[in-house]
Amino acid sequence: MIEARNLTKKYGDKLAVDHINFKVNPGMVTGFLGPNGAGKSTTMRMIMGLDRPTDGTVYVNGLPYAKHVSPMTEVGALLEARAIHPGRSAYQHLKVLAATHSLPTSRIDEVIALTGLESVADKRVGGFSLGMGQRLGIASALLGNPSTLILDEPVNGLDPEGVAWVRNLCRYLAGQGRTVFLSSHLMSEMAQTADHLIVIGRGKILADMSVEQFVETGTKRYVRVATPNAAALAQAVTNAGGRAVTPGGTPAGSAVDGAVAHLEVSGLDAPAVGELALTNGVVLHELTPISSTLEEAYMEMTADSLEYQTLAPLGQAPAVDADTAFAYAPATPAASSADVEKEAQA
Amino acid sequence: MSAVMTDALDGASVNSPVAKYVSRFADHKIGFGKQLRSEWLKMWTLRSTWWMMGATVVLMAGLSLLFAGVMDLVVNEMRGMGGGGAGAADISEMSVGIVIVVLGYQLAQLTVAVFATLTITNEYSSGMIRATLSATPRRLRTLLAKLVVVTLTTIVVTLVGLTLAWAVTYPLMSSNHTLVDFSQWDQVRSLLGTVLYLVMIAWMALGIGTLMRGSAGAISTVMGLILVAPMILGMIVMFAPNIGWVGQIYRFLPSEAGQQIVMQLDGMMGPDSGAMSVEMLSPWVGFAVLAAYAVAALAAGAWSMKRRDA
Repeated sequence: MIEARNLTKKYGDKLAVDHINFKVNPGMVTGFLGPNGAGKSTTMRMIMGLDRPTDGTVYVNGLPYAKHVSPMTEVGALLEARAIHPGRSAYQHLKVLAATHSLPTSRIDEVIALTGLESVADKRVGGFSLGMGQRLGIASALLGNPSTLILDEPVNGLDPEGVAWVRNLCRYLAGQGRTVFLSSHLMSEMAQTADHLIVIGRGKILADMSVEQFVETGTKRYVRVATPNAAALAQAVTNAGGRAVTPGGTPAGSAVDGAVAHLEVSGLDAPAVGELALTNGVVLHELTPISSTLEEAYMEMTADSLEYQTLAPLGQAPAVDADTAFAYAPATPAASSADVEKEAQA
Repeated sequence: MSAVMTDALDGASVNSPVAKYVSRFADHKIGFGKQLRSEWLKMWTLRSTWWMMGATVVLMAGLSLLFAGVMDLVVNEMRGMGGGGAGAADISEMSVGIVIVVLGYQLAQLTVAVFATLTITNEYSSGMIRATLSATPRRLRTLLAKLVVVTLTTIVVTLVGLTLAWAVTYPLMSSNHTLVDFSQWDQVRSLLGTVLYLVMIAWMALGIGTLMRGSAGAISTVMGLILVAPMILGMIVMFAPNIGWVGQIYRFLPSEAGQQIVMQLDGMMGPDSGAMSVEMLSPWVGFAVLAAYAVAALAAGAWSMKRRDA
C-alpha cells in the first residue's frame, strides 16, 4: 500500500510533481503512466525516500519508507537508472544488499534462479547486457520478499520472452496480495498487465481508475462492417439515425454495390447494425465493434500535457528546418537503454 | 515456474479483498552491525580496493627500502672520507631510522585518499547509492558505517605497511646502528602519528567525496589540498620568505600541519621545516588542525548527504 498526500517536488521554479494525491492498493497491479518528464520517476524516488518532497508526504505500508525497521521486506524497487556497481558480480551485489538485513544466502540463490541469472551470477555486472541488468535489478527488488514492489520501466531491454515473464511475475505477485506499482512506456503491455491505472501529466494526476474505465474515456467508438452491399447498408444506417463512412472518412452513400467494401458505422451499436442488415437483406462479411485502445485513450488524455511537443499539427507548423523539427526522438526503450548504458560506462 | 504462477493466479481474484501480505523475512531488521558487514563486503568485493591497499603497503615498504639503501651508500661514503666510524656514529644520533621507516606515508596518503574518496563517489557515479539507500534508508548511519570501515581498513593497512617497512630495512639499519628506538617517545609518536595522519587524510577524503559526489572532482580536490597546494606554497615560502602571509597559510595546510606528528623528531627537523623560514606547528597542535579539517569535511558531507536528493 502506497499513499501520497499533497506530494510535491519542485526543482528550482519548475514543479515536477504538483500536489498529487493517490493510493496504490494491494492485491492488484497498478500502472503508472505519463509522458517523459511528467514526474513518474521523481514520484517513485520520493516513495523510496531518495528524493525529498518539497511538500506533502508519501507513506508506504503506513510509514515513511525510512522509518521502517526492515525496509527491504516492505518495499523492493527497480528504479529507472541502473543502481548496480559494474565491478561486482551479480552474486556479490545481492550479497551486499542481503547483508544489510542478514537475509539468508539461500534467498540470494532463490532470486538468482527466479530471474534466470544462474549462468552469469559470478560474472561482473559491467559486462551485462541491458536485459541481464534489468533482471538483476528485479532480483534485487525481490530480495527481501517485499510486500510492495515498485518497478520503473521493468521491461526495458528485455526480449519478448522476458517481457511476458515480467507480466506474469507482476500478475503473480499481485495475486499473492502484494502491492505492485509499475511504470512502462509499452501501452499494449500495460493493458495486459495492469488492473488499475494512475496517469500523470505535467506533475498532476490526470486519471486514477481501472483499466476498463480508462479505456472507455477514449472517444473512438464505431462498428466496422465489411459487406458487398455497402450502398444499401449505408442507406439503411442513415435511415436508422446512424452514420456510415468509408475508412477514409468519406460518406458511404456513393459506394458501389457488388464489390466488398468496409464501412465504419457510428451512432449504432453492433447488434443494431446486425439487425438492420438482416431486415434489409444485406450480407455481412464482418461486424466488429471498435473502441479506443489503451494507447489511444492515453494519447488523447495526455495530448495537452506533453512536456516536449514533437511537431505542431500540419498546416500550422512554423517554418523550421527539418533537422530541428525532427530533433526530438520519443523515448523508445532502445533510446533510454542507450542512456542507461552510457551511464553505466561513466 | 509459469505453471506455478498460473495456479496462484487462478486462486486469487484481483478484485476480491486479499489478506495483507507479509514478507517471510519481516523479522529481519536492519542494524548497524549488519550495515558494517555490508559495507565491508562492498569494499572488499571491488578489485580497486585490493589494488589500492596493496599499493599502499608496497609503496610504504618500497620507499623505506629505497631510502635505507641511499642512506647506506651515503654512510659508507662518509666512512671512506672521514675515516673510522665517525659517520656511523653521527647518523645514530639523528633519528634516521625512524624517518626512513615512516617516510612512505608521503606516498601512502595518496592511495589512501583516493581509496577513501572512491568509497563514496563510486556509489554515486554507478548509481549504487540508490540500491544502498533503498536497503538502508537512514543516510547518516550509512555514512557512519562507511567511515568505520574506511578507518579500520586504513589502520590495518598502515600498520602492515609500517611493519613491512621496518622489517625490510632492518638489515641495513642494523648495520648502520640506526634502528628505530622504541624507548624514545618521539619515535613511537611518529609511528602512531603515521597511522593517525593517514586516518585523518582518509576522513577528509571521505568527507569531500560525500560532499562532491563525482569521483574526478573529489579526487582532484583532495589531491590539490594534500599534494599541489603544499608544493606551490612551499616553493613560494622557500624562494620568497619575506611574504609572511603565505607562510601562515602554508603551515596551516592540512598535510603540512598534520604531518608534524610524524616528522618532528628529536635531533632532526622535519624535511620541510628545516629549510624553511616558516615555523611549523607543534606535533599535536598540527594534528588537531588536520583533524579539524577532517571533521569539517565529514560534517559538510553528512549535511549534504542528509539534505540533498540521492
